[in-house]
Amino acid sequence: MAAEVVKEEVYSTIPMRTWRWLGVNEARVASSILAAAQERRIRVPAGEKHTVVLVYRDELAAHVQAELAAGAELQLIKVQLAEDGVRRADTIEVQCSEGAKLSYTAVEAGAGVSTTKLLVALNGDKSEADVAALYFGDRKRRIDMNYIIRQAGRDTRANMQIHGALAGESDKIFRGTLDFIRGAKGSTGREKEEVVLLSPKVRNRSVPLMLSGEDDVDGHHAVSVGRMDENKLYYLMSRGLNLSEAERLVVEAALAPVLVRIPDAQLAAEVREHIEGRLSHV
Amino acid sequence: MAKKKTFIEDIERTLYDIKNEDRPVYKTKQGLTEEIIRDISAKKHDPDWMLAFRLHSLDVYNHTPLPVWGPDLSELDMDRIVTYVKPDAKMAGRWEDVPEDIKDTFDRLGIPEAEKTSLAGVGAQYDSEVVYHSIQESLTRQGVIYTDMETALVEHEDLVREYFMKLVPPKDHKFVALHGAVWSGGSFVYVPAGVQVKIPLQSYFRLNSPGAGQFEHTLIIVEKGASLHFIEGCSAPKYNVTNLHAGCVELYVKEGARLRYSTIENWSRNMMNLNTKRALVEKDGLIEWVSGSFGSHVSMLYPCSILHGENARCEFTGVTFAGHGQHLDTGATVVHAAPHTSANINTRTISKDGGIAVYRSAVKVAPGADHAKCSVNCESLMLDDRSRSDTLPVMDIQGDEADIGHEARIGRISDEAVYYLTTRGISEDEARAMIVRGFVEPIAKALPLEYAVEMNNLINIELEGAMG
Repeated sequence: MAAEVVKEEVYSTIPMRTWRWLGVNEARVASSILAAAQERRIRVPAGEKHTVVLVYRDELAAHVQAELAAGAELQLIKVQLAEDGVRRADTIEVQCSEGAKLSYTAVEAGAGVSTTKLLVALNGDKSEADVAALYFGDRKRRIDMNYIIRQAGRDTRANMQIHGALAGESDKIFRGTLDFIRGAKGSTGREKEEVVLLSPKVRNRSVPLMLSGEDDVDGHHAVSVGRMDENKLYYLMSRGLNLSEAERLVVEAALAPVLVRIPDAQLAAEVREHIEGRLSHV
Repeated sequence: MAKKKTFIEDIERTLYDIKNEDRPVYKTKQGLTEEIIRDISAKKHDPDWMLAFRLHSLDVYNHTPLPVWGPDLSELDMDRIVTYVKPDAKMAGRWEDVPEDIKDTFDRLGIPEAEKTSLAGVGAQYDSEVVYHSIQESLTRQGVIYTDMETALVEHEDLVREYFMKLVPPKDHKFVALHGAVWSGGSFVYVPAGVQVKIPLQSYFRLNSPGAGQFEHTLIIVEKGASLHFIEGCSAPKYNVTNLHAGCVELYVKEGARLRYSTIENWSRNMMNLNTKRALVEKDGLIEWVSGSFGSHVSMLYPCSILHGENARCEFTGVTFAGHGQHLDTGATVVHAAPHTSANINTRTISKDGGIAVYRSAVKVAPGADHAKCSVNCESLMLDDRSRSDTLPVMDIQGDEADIGHEARIGRISDEAVYYLTTRGISEDEARAMIVRGFVEPIAKALPLEYAVEMNNLINIELEGAMG
């Protein structure tokens, strides 16, 4: 019997293309998944502070659009803990007006194939985006993330901190773009991705882009990819832990800066248990 | 208070812009057809296998699309490019035998002077052919071969056939296929096992003919335990038609060998520089790239190092200066294909006056390349808000035994640094100029002294420049 042909479409692209042989220019997602996207709109009025928690456990796509009025603050938390066989595609788009502040926290720890994009537009002067994400890949999990922060207003602040661990035969692409638009004078952007590799069969692709049409900016990005710090392991093992316990502790510590941003203690505990459970099988 | 900006003078080009009368003894027709390829091949007395290779490359060219990324190449019309221009000069082994106007050009560029003082051998290419080649006798006695590619094809055909476009095959991309079809000139270097070439060799490529292409091929083989420093320089006068440079450099660094490949590229602003450079580094070998990109209208240049043997190493040091009307897309690629390989990439880019500077790189760690280490550092300085500076690195790591770090910065001259220097009694103009010079210093340090001086001349910082 002929294999079923899955119709796919380009779901996200990096703002500037590069060599095709690296396979990082775009992410494709089955049209059927995108057609089933759940729409959600969030509006935060001027001067107000809102917290929204999005928890995804099933096979669907989400399309979240948020608008932050002048001086508004949004704490947006997305946790994806879907089952292994699930394919997900999530889009988060946030527009920030003058003085608005976005705090975005994401946990990508489930689904067999997880494709996400985050687009933050810092349109207003002095608007800010503080983004922290955690991903954990194990077994044959595929993780594709495309985060873009566009800084158009003056004196904007962007901070993107990504922490991840890859085990089993997992395959992950993280693209993170800081895009300084001409006129974004006085703006700063920071991006950092730290990846811990736990298995010889993993594949990690990291694509940190920094684009600038404005000279009066201060941008910095860094990526660090490697094994666990042997000194840390040695220290923990000298305190009586065996290797796998020590490794688990080091990974948990690496992911902790993101977990502490989840305000719901029960949800944070669930995420921690979910990852710990998986780590015990690594 | 409005922030001040340093005015950095554009690159001084007077020296490079002097044109000679275009009086070739032979030129192909414009465009790219099988007839033209056969014509070039016949004029160059190619062996049959080379003609077949050229025709195969043409076929690949015709079936390969333009890249869908990078700078806009739409202004390049191959139907208007003359791919082969034979100057009115025969290959000379004595400088006095080079025709007067061509000799004057290279004299002005300082090539014969450098040969006397700091080089062990010189090659000079004018349009499509090498017009002069020399090498110190002591090196010849040690078995070192340094000659033009055409002579190599006759005198060392087996070696050329073994290595030519094996590392950079025509199917790699459209402009390599073009190169395979119409290549002409370039240098061939062979350093036998254990021979240390202590003084650099230099090839200089000059494109004088308007609307022409230059497609020189550089093939260097450094055998086991040998070492070499090779310097490449390029320039052209400015015309109001598009010129094309699609050279190809293939470097074979064998076990325990070392090769330093330095380039100061200063093509004119009507040049499209679509060049391909690649090195294959075997066990314990070292490739060092020093790359300065200052000229051309459009550049796409990403020297590639394939670390094929255990403990193979790569050091890449590059500077790119994009001024008015320039779109310079440069960077480096490294493939870790063996255990314990290491690479260090260090680049600086400057953009001003509407120039676009792009740093693009790829670091690939193949499965099994355990304990690969790579460190990338790229810094970009923008001197005004009409320019662009983009950074696009990709890291692709398979396996868990790699240690990869990447860091990039983008920004302008720091007011705090200027303030600090002015509190030490340095004028503001000088302080800003010092900061720019300091910014490129890691690159200048990697260049031989005379080339560091040339680079400083190219940048030509206006110490008392106007603030605006």
